Amino acid sequence: MRTASLPHGVRARVLLAAATCLLPLLLALPGRFALGVAAACALAAVLSWRGHAPAWLKLALVLLLGTGAMAAMGWRFGRDTGCALLATMLALKPLELRAPRDARSLLGFALFAPFATFLLDQGPLSLALGLAGAIAALAAMQRLSEHESHDPRPQPATRHIRDVLRLVAAGLPLALAAFWLFPRLPAPLWGVPERALSQPGLSDSMEPGGWIDLMVDDTPALRVTFAGEAPPPSRMYWRGPVLTDYDGRRWTVSRLAVHAPPPAVEPGDTVWDYELEVEPTDDRILVALELPHAAPAGATLTHDYDLRAQRPLTSVTRWRIRASPPRRFEAELPPQVRAATLRLPEGFNPRTVALGRKWREEAGEGNDAAIVARALAMIREEFAYTLATPLPGRHAADEFLFEWKQGYCEHFSSAFVVLMRAAGIPARVVTGYAGGYRNPYGGYWVVRRMDAHAWAEVWLEGRGWVRVDPTAAVAPERIYDTLEDRVGTGLRAFPVIRPALDIGDWLRRGWNDLVLGWNAARQRDLFRPAFGGRAGTRALVAAFALAAVLALAWMAWLAARGAREHDPVLRAWHRMGRRYARLGLGREPHEPALRWAERISPALPEACARELRALSLRFAHWRYASGRRDAAAMRALVRDLRGHRPRTGDPREPTP
Amino acid sequence: MPLRRLRTTFERLARPRRRESLPAVLDRHRIYVLPTRFGMFLAALLLAMALGALNYNNNPALLLCLLLGGAALASLLQAHLQLSGLEVHAVGGDPVPAGSPLQLRVHVRARDRRERRGLRVECLGAAATLSLEDGAGEAVIAVPTVRRGWLDPGRIRISTTRPLGLARAWAWVWPEGAALVYPAPELPAPPLPVGDGEGAKSRLHQAGDDVHHLREWRSGDARRMVAWKPSARRGNLVVRENEQPAGMDVVLDWDALAGLPYERRISRLATWVDQAARESRRCRLLLPGQPPVGPGQGAAHRHACLRALALLPDGG
Repeated sequence: MRTASLPHGVRARVLLAAATCLLPLLLALPGRFALGVAAACALAAVLSWRGHAPAWLKLALVLLLGTGAMAAMGWRFGRDTGCALLATMLALKPLELRAPRDARSLLGFALFAPFATFLLDQGPLSLALGLAGAIAALAAMQRLSEHESHDPRPQPATRHIRDVLRLVAAGLPLALAAFWLFPRLPAPLWGVPERALSQPGLSDSMEPGGWIDLMVDDTPALRVTFAGEAPPPSRMYWRGPVLTDYDGRRWTVSRLAVHAPPPAVEPGDTVWDYELEVEPTDDRILVALELPHAAPAGATLTHDYDLRAQRPLTSVTRWRIRASPPRRFEAELPPQVRAATLRLPEGFNPRTVALGRKWREEAGEGNDAAIVARALAMIREEFAYTLATPLPGRHAADEFLFEWKQGYCEHFSSAFVVLMRAAGIPARVVTGYAGGYRNPYGGYWVVRRMDAHAWAEVWLEGRGWVRVDPTAAVAPERIYDTLEDRVGTGLRAFPVIRPALDIGDWLRRGWNDLVLGWNAARQRDLFRPAFGGRAGTRALVAAFALAAVLALAWMAWLAARGAREHDPVLRAWHRMGRRYARLGLGREPHEPALRWAERISPALPEACARELRALSLRFAHWRYASGRRDAAAMRALVRDLRGHRPRTGDPREPTP
Repeated sequence: MPLRRLRTTFERLARPRRRESLPAVLDRHRIYVLPTRFGMFLAALLLAMALGALNYNNNPALLLCLLLGGAALASLLQAHLQLSGLEVHAVGGDPVPAGSPLQLRVHVRARDRRERRGLRVECLGAAATLSLEDGAGEAVIAVPTVRRGWLDPGRIRISTTRPLGLARAWAWVWPEGAALVYPAPELPAPPLPVGDGEGAKSRLHQAGDDVHHLREWRSGDARRMVAWKPSARRGNLVVRENEQPAGMDVVLDWDALAGLPYERRISRLATWVDQAARESRRCRLLLPGQPPVGPGQGAAHRHACLRALALLPDGG
């Protein structure tokens, strides 16, 4: 049945629901583009309100926004481009909102928006807004259905929200049972499309100035739980991509290292056993404390001892790793690695190269450690740490070492490696995170994106690769973290806020643990202790079936319970009536209160009958008498109704 | 077309399979729930999303998907519960001539206090909305009528798509003959046959010419009706009453209309019954194989006549 057009009330509700669904998606998209989409959506809503928009306008808007979406994503097609196009379509869909049918298709389409959001971002804000959008959409569906049923008395919006929440509550146990127990796919059937715009973060290359955004981003990158001893923060170097190749401006990962097997490492005695919980990065880069004993399942080690996941980390993942500081790390350096880690591009940084050669001459052959110490001493004495640096020119290392004498980890590590290579010491840049912050409530360590760090490794005869952190020589407090040093003016500067933020992060971790990080492997582990291997899968299916049946029973019970009476007096009155009904003395549906009391009085003992008559009289007065309703009297009536119990016993004998 | 055949098969198998006497309680055996087109669309949508979320192991998306699915399933149950426990206790309506819509009233009550609003009641292609207040309600459906006799409402469908419009729950009630349809009147109506039966007698009529007798003045009598001379003679006001010869019983005889086809005869007789009632004339209806109806006058008599006509057997 189609009605010609939607009344304004219904239309407003549908548009509002669509906007609520769109909001989290817009927040996950680039800001300027999102503003444009929001403006277009408002325009479409206004046009839909007024009547209908001309076709040329629709076409123009679609083309304009579509082009805008592609441009915002740098004309590449990725997951976020798809999401941006979806947002565009959804924003313009109100233009064809006329009949209830259009409203339904708009609502169905709008439900895609929270899903698209979760492909881009799984933070708590997105989750809350997505849930709000879904509830608004369901409430709008309810309003539509009410409109179509020609109910002359529409319900208020709060009532719709409450009804929808009831429905969701009824379905919740089934949803949760399916979520935790429905067998998951161990490996995806098809791959996740990559994003067109990458987030700032660790990557396979490093350019001067490239990390500035990252250094002020205090969202967590990793959460770490140590089983046993945790290393002191000054030894927490989370090793990520190793950058060997240098073209005078950019440092990149050596292609040579990616496919070669990892070199020989002689681990030290200390063992750190820990579990990493990695926030999604859409990348394969993994970090680990130096150096992992072996790659965990699902990841591989390159020749640089750089850990790579086999699939992009699109959701929260957990990795169990054992690591030890190395005693010897690649003590035998293969010639091609040696050549690669000594190579410097021609025609760059002449002053640094000259300084390196001079030091080498002064130190003589074979005294590499002395050169390293001399460089560190120079840096410690003459250099300072700052995030405010100008963009470098052609000779970046020269400018840093001889002119500015201040910078941050990128500059320090890069210039240091150039200097070492000039002095004939194999050296490379290592990126990753340094330090960590212990959450006092959860007993775990948080590594934030702003903890991203770059340091250097030099190869020394007999010891292999040795970590050297020139930045730490200048500003150890800026590296090993204490958050307030880094962003002393932010929210964390207030002592009251900090515990709240810590608790918030602890809750977030619980959510990650229970919901975001749930996958096939952890599902398998659920029943592994009790049943092994294949029996575990069967146990899982059986548990799911059992939980689903229980959940359906709950749903049926909750739905059949009927609407709860809102009036406390009526509720107490009905409850009292049910007590009598159990004795077979129930009130007929259309029997007035007083007549009922009179009718059943003969079957009751004298005192009880008198009490019942008095109560029904009070109830009838309360319900039907006009005039003011006294709150205290109402409470007394409710109390008495609740307190009244039918007493059976010998019915009154009629007087002979 | 197989779909249509499936539909007819289903409708033949659906309960109730024969007419039933009221009250009829809608229980779970006779309530059917199927997703609407929108429900199917949403199910396909959620399925696609769940598949994507499972594939990417995108847990928030999966959780939202499952929450929506759970709510949709609960809404199916609620749609069922909107009907479950309803009791159709009477179906009826005032008779109307065939061809004009009959206001069929479907009276429904429920014993529990569950809220039931916006139920759709359909009968013979017409529909009405039913909302229960305090456990009782009625739907008035303007049912089209075609022929005289007991109206067979067929299976009355009570359905709802609330709360979310994802599923339609419905149940059929098939009451026995619920309302009477009178024969359609003949238009234009021929004049009433002149009364000549044995019951013919004079009737008083003020507009007549022959003075019949005098009576005392009553308030409301027109001044020109006062007989001034006799009044002066008697000392109080008297009024002339006149007589009209047309006030005789109308006899509506089936056999007198032998020239007309069967249904035309019924129509004409029905028209005349109405006309006689309008003119407040006594009439008597003679039908074959039945005792005569009347003579009589007034609404009850009119209904008796029309009912007799409506219930004449078919054919001739």
